[in-house]
Amino acid sequence: MRLLLVEDEADIQAFLQRSLEETGYEVEVAPDARTAEQLAGTGPFDILIVDLGLPDRDGISLILRLRELGMRAPVLILSARRSVDDRVRGLEQGGDDYLTKPFALAELLARLRNLLRRNSPLQGEPTRLRVHDLELDLLRREALRGGQVLQLTQQEFVLLEYLCRNAGRVVTRSMILDKVWGMRFVPDTNVVDVHIYRLRGKVDGAGQYPLIKTMRGVGYVLKDK
Amino acid sequence: MSSKTNKPRMRSAAWRVSFLATIAFACGTLVIFVFLHQFVSSDIQRRTDAWLSGEVEVLGDVAARTPKNALYRRVVGEVAELAAREVPNKSNSADNSSDSVFFLQTSAQPQQSQLWVGAGNGKSNLEAIRRTSFQPDTPTDVSVSGFPVPFRVACLQMADGSRIYLGVSERDDLRVLRRLRLRFFLLWLLVVFLGFGIVFLVTRRMLSHVRRITEAASRIGHSDLSERVPATRRNDEVSQLAQTLNGMLDRIESAMHQLHTITDALAHDLRSPLTAIRGKLEMSLSRTENEEHTEPIVSAIEELDQLTDFLNKSLDVAEARADALRLTRTRIDLSRLMETMVDLYEPSMAERGIRIRVSSEGGVTLDGDEGLIHRMIANLLDNELKHLAPGSSVSITLQCRDEMAIVTLEDNGGGFEPEILEHLFVGRVKGRTSKGHGLGLAFVDAVAQAHGGTVEAANREGRGARISVSLPSLPKTAHHQATVATQVG
Repeated sequence: MRLLLVEDEADIQAFLQRSLEETGYEVEVAPDARTAEQLAGTGPFDILIVDLGLPDRDGISLILRLRELGMRAPVLILSARRSVDDRVRGLEQGGDDYLTKPFALAELLARLRNLLRRNSPLQGEPTRLRVHDLELDLLRREALRGGQVLQLTQQEFVLLEYLCRNAGRVVTRSMILDKVWGMRFVPDTNVVDVHIYRLRGKVDGAGQYPLIKTMRGVGYVLKDK
Repeated sequence: MSSKTNKPRMRSAAWRVSFLATIAFACGTLVIFVFLHQFVSSDIQRRTDAWLSGEVEVLGDVAARTPKNALYRRVVGEVAELAAREVPNKSNSADNSSDSVFFLQTSAQPQQSQLWVGAGNGKSNLEAIRRTSFQPDTPTDVSVSGFPVPFRVACLQMADGSRIYLGVSERDDLRVLRRLRLRFFLLWLLVVFLGFGIVFLVTRRMLSHVRRITEAASRIGHSDLSERVPATRRNDEVSQLAQTLNGMLDRIESAMHQLHTITDALAHDLRSPLTAIRGKLEMSLSRTENEEHTEPIVSAIEELDQLTDFLNKSLDVAEARADALRLTRTRIDLSRLMETMVDLYEPSMAERGIRIRVSSEGGVTLDGDEGLIHRMIANLLDNELKHLAPGSSVSITLQCRDEMAIVTLEDNGGGFEPEILEHLFVGRVKGRTSKGHGLGLAFVDAVAQAHGGTVEAANREGRGARISVSLPSLPKTAHHQATVATQVG
């Protein structure tokens, strides 16, 4: 996976490059729009990360310019502004995504995965998910642990499904809020945690291997042994 | 919407102004006319009196010089008739002269008619004259039975003791005055109506400028300051008002732009290092397995997140206070949004032993910024969650009244501390026991205001608090009228 990272802040650039390379991306770095344009000509990229506040040019106009030059790869926009500007929203509708700074690394990786999946040809949606002895029937909206049907509410099923789809990968609270409740902010109180505790109480019964783990400071992960 | 409510008020102002102006004008002209009428009528009388005095003198002279023989009657009668033709203010019809003037000579004692020139036999005239006392040289009004209009009569005492009376009917004088009054009245009506029309049109035109300015000013929203009120080319007070408003808007817009620049710069300058720090901490966290080493990293990340949250909220409240929240409006189904939010918060409430009850009218929609509305509702629910003691209950109602969507939260907790109740929506105000930044309700208020709504907070009678948020809603669709009530917890 070839990734173009356009970010002018050296600190952010450094840790992003390192963690992205550790995750398995082949990362090219551009500190400004001019370099980004030159690099874009060196060959196809699978995905781009573009910061909006570049020293020589506005990130949006860079993205539009690259699109003009024939670049098809999806873009994850990084923005230091809180409110999302209409032009970013426009790009979001065009299939790109945005993330406000500061962000959790896990969330950045999840969004990248999402963008790549969206962009690749659909490989038949699975109708069943399986992690360890937990089984989800997506058609019948039914969850089984060790063959026993779990009594889940609609919302709990959606939450569990999201965790299962990302099995082995950390999901943050803001990702959960976005996916399950359609909210792009994290409330003051620990509302998500309480949902997870409840779900855990139903999924990880006494004597069973605990599947849902808390990654403090980061989020949650549903993980096989 | 604003034009619908402003129009009748403006029109009535135009009516009022033109009505009052017309009344003042009409009264003024009426007073002037009364004076004028007084002047004209006294002038006419003066002229009549002068004529009468002159003629009676002439007649007296003629009567004295003419020998008292058979010709006396004829000579004096001829002269009297000649005089009658020269009556001032006489109307055109010739036959009127016969009854508008009379001449009478009476013997000394008792008063008997010696010579009569005029219409009829003069008996009633004589009777009327006998009843009246005359001053020499001053004509007097005499009402004669059979004549609707009094006569003006001059009297002359002859040397032989007889008296000469010359009378002229005041009919012609009164007719002149009546015609004057009629003409004045018609002209007055015309001028008053014309004046009313002109004043009304001019006022309405002027007020319509004001109305356009009001409409434009009310259209200039909380976040959109690019519009300007219409200015006319004329350099009158109204266009000065428009220019002043526009100047003010220019200044506000540039101040707002500056504020945005500052908050954006501040946000950017703080966010970049925060991102870098968080990223580095996360990386070291992923490399450390030892619980002892991860703990400080984890708490550092958590504190960093709190700092970020505080930064976001402070900037939001600051922008909102300055009416500078940037809204991205979409159509929001508030009923569904509330359902989702309650669904999100219900487990946390249940965990703390707080009952939550929702009663929601279906299909309440509004045009607003979904992210901000989400956060506003979350702030309200966070507030309840943080401050209510176990065993309390919260009742949430959503209803639509007069094009306003009203979300009301009522609890039976401790209520607001009285000293903070007044300044509840001012940032950084919080109860003594509160752990928050004190920005929650300030933010709620700011979001409501940015959407053109209001927030009210009060302690309920008895126990607990009530917060009610009103936001302008979109018209309901017919099939959504049903009220849905759900019990949770």
